[in-house]
Amino acid sequence: MVEGKHKSRSLRRLHKKTPGGKTKMYFHARRSAAHKCAVCGEALKGIPRMMRAEAKNAPKSKKKVERPFGGFLCPSCLKAKLKKELRA
Amino acid sequence: MFEIGRVCVKLAGRDAGMKCIVIDVVDHSFVVVDGQTRRRKCNIKHLEPLSQVLQISKNAPAAEVVRAMKELGIEMPEKKSKARKESKKERPKSSRTKKAKPVKEAKLAKEKKPKAEKAEETSKANLAGSEK
Repeated sequence: MVEGKHKSRSLRRLHKKTPGGKTKMYFHARRSAAHKCAVCGEALKGIPRMMRAEAKNAPKSKKKVERPFGGFLCPSCLKAKLKKELRA
Repeated sequence: MFEIGRVCVKLAGRDAGMKCIVIDVVDHSFVVVDGQTRRRKCNIKHLEPLSQVLQISKNAPAAEVVRAMKELGIEMPEKKSKARKESKKERPKSSRTKKAKPVKEAKLAKEKKPKAEKAEETSKANLAGSEK
């Protein structure tokens, strides 16, 4: 039987086989996916992967990078965007 | 292309998108810039040169840079000088010595109150606090 505290679906369930041959269930906290660049889709760096509840109380510095469009565009896409605007 | 006086726009870092002027050339890949950005050494790869070249001397002081930026039409706020940090370090160490603690004498001087009286006093204080 699943323990009371483990019944919550906010926990991720993982079935693993022990060396003895039994299958055991493990419960892990869910983690969000990495934030992606809006243009190229690459995973953004410098932003910890927090679920929404954690991120709500986190300071702004943990949800972005200190750069224009930080947390939204990757640095190469930002460079391309600035160059395009300047050369137009 | 990146000569002294060339107006550029920074492409990387905290000050990306801000205009700056080349003040000094270090070598084939690094220059020193100043303007809306901080005065710092910068890689040429992180700069986009514009068509304008201003008349400015090598390693120009901050005031001259402010005048040059006005030609571009950019009003720059006054930059804080670093002198404040140095003055903090010069504080004399004698002020940090701890004062002698005359606590024990005061404690001895106090009359020892019996426990019952103390309990009454504390309960009265609690009531007064809760009433407020």
